[in-house]
Amino acid sequence: MHDLLQRFLSLPWDQLPQWLFLIPAGIMLLAAAGAVVFRNLIHCALWLVLSFAALGVLYMALGAEFVGFVQLLVYVGAVSMLVIFAILLTPSDEVSASNNPLVHFKLSSAVNAVIGVAVTGLVLVGLLAAIFFSPRAGGVTLPAVAPTLPVAKIGENLLSHTLLPLQAVAVLLTAAMIGAALLAKEDKRS
Amino acid sequence: MNDFFKLIWDYVLQFLGLFLKNWDAIPTETMRLLREFLAKLGALVGFTTPQWIIDAICALVAIVAIIAVFMIMFALMSVFERKILARAQNRYGPNRVGPWGLFQPVADGIKMLTKEDLVPRAADQIVHLLAPVMMVAPALMLPAILPYGHGMTAINLSSGILYFFALSAGTELAVFMAGWSSNNKYSVMGAMRAIAQMISYELPLVMAAIVAAFAAGTLSPDGIVQAQSGYTAGFLPNWYICTPWGFAAGALFYIGALAEANRCPFDLPEGESELVAGHLTEYSGFKYAIFFMAEYVGMFAIVGMFVTLFLGGYNAPFPFLEWIPSYVWFFTKIAAIAFSFVWVRATLPRMRIDHMMQFAWKFMLPMSFAALLALAAWHYAGRNALGWGLSAVLVAAPYLLLGRFCFGNRHSPTNRRYYFSE
Repeated sequence: MHDLLQRFLSLPWDQLPQWLFLIPAGIMLLAAAGAVVFRNLIHCALWLVLSFAALGVLYMALGAEFVGFVQLLVYVGAVSMLVIFAILLTPSDEVSASNNPLVHFKLSSAVNAVIGVAVTGLVLVGLLAAIFFSPRAGGVTLPAVAPTLPVAKIGENLLSHTLLPLQAVAVLLTAAMIGAALLAKEDKRS
Repeated sequence: MNDFFKLIWDYVLQFLGLFLKNWDAIPTETMRLLREFLAKLGALVGFTTPQWIIDAICALVAIVAIIAVFMIMFALMSVFERKILARAQNRYGPNRVGPWGLFQPVADGIKMLTKEDLVPRAADQIVHLLAPVMMVAPALMLPAILPYGHGMTAINLSSGILYFFALSAGTELAVFMAGWSSNNKYSVMGAMRAIAQMISYELPLVMAAIVAAFAAGTLSPDGIVQAQSGYTAGFLPNWYICTPWGFAAGALFYIGALAEANRCPFDLPEGESELVAGHLTEYSGFKYAIFFMAEYVGMFAIVGMFVTLFLGGYNAPFPFLEWIPSYVWFFTKIAAIAFSFVWVRATLPRMRIDHMMQFAWKFMLPMSFAALLALAAWHYAGRNALGWGLSAVLVAAPYLLLGRFCFGNRHSPTNRRYYFSE
């Protein structure tokens, strides 16, 4: 009994965190699959949110705390609401009627399945090829401990090396916001 | 066996000895003693206790302590809120259960536990069940990063403020899940109102928090509290609320916190005269109690954030009061702000929905930018007469201009337009 406990405690527990990342990664993949499988659009949106959240947890597990929190704040907090509002505000019968050109191509489910598998396979093959045949493959040695990036360093980097892209993004977002306000503004003529 | 009891007795004596020394250090010293005790306990049985077991037990103790404190605060708040409201309305309030009605929360809890848990047949069963879970999980995780006293931060994150707002963003999803899954028009409308309100008020809330973070130069709550220690001219504490820009940002954060916690005058999502009970309409029994609990724990967490960001956290207000332990100051400030929340609820009527949205977008958001500008002026002019004057003007001028011109002239009534019925 005593010996067993001692052996249990002397297992390589220090390496456990390296394998724990499989939990959020698995949840993320399953939730992403759930987001396309279910029929109810709201359920799909909720699965998508779970996949966003799991990705945030994955970032945190990799030591990128700041990016993980931003992922939660932006995707779980804002983008999910955007998706849900879009689903709720879109009349559900509009798409299935004559508006959608794809409806006229009535394909059998077998052909659908073949197309789906082919597209997924193509994407997977492309990804794997990009990973294994890229010039840097094999040459990259990862550090033993995940580097942690202090928040102040990210801020300094944003405001020195990447100042121009940052400002370009800011201008783009301002333009988008003005556009949204213009669209939402009530029409004075009517 | 004798050694075992001797060890425990030794550490009990050491723990009691802490009360004779510095009271401020009792919680941190207790945790240190616990670590030592666990290591020696392992050595007594015959093996070296791995570090991760000690860490896990200490983390568990901290979690239990924090959740217990917040649960007790929730129970006390639920009875004192009713007492204070009753006093404001010239009544007695609950006084039947226990001395002065103090055991009222126990009676409420038993009532909620034994009530039937009704789920509408048309409801989405799984989402209906998950919504309270989704609501309560972030609320219980929020208090983890608050600095309760000197060295008393459970998780000292370098981006703690971001953690706080990232988690509280999950509440919106929970409210939507509750409203949509109930399959009830009132529920969906209430949820939509609640989400619109939360999103609108989150912007000024975060902007006001950014002002405090900029002033301290860090996103860590403990760092922000430490930046507010000390006194100007020997009596005025260096709290951010005592500066022009900090006063503006603090007021905005206070109003935003009221709205985020769905407190009066921003309790429209539960406007019972229009929406029954909003997204809570189809909830009963313990699920309803869990929503209630999540709301109150979230309120205490956001009040704790307000205290941390603007009221100096665990710092004493005057130098001669520094002998009182830091955690006592922190919880005293939380209690004071919670009392003011109840006072506001007893005083103000509920806002109309379009007024509420206009207030958030046309007044609070520009004011939070003005507070940021005033902070910049303070930063470059320095802590002198010029800095005080410049930042005071940069706060007061937008306040007057926005108040005067954004909402039109209130004294000439025009035809009311109903934007939602056209």
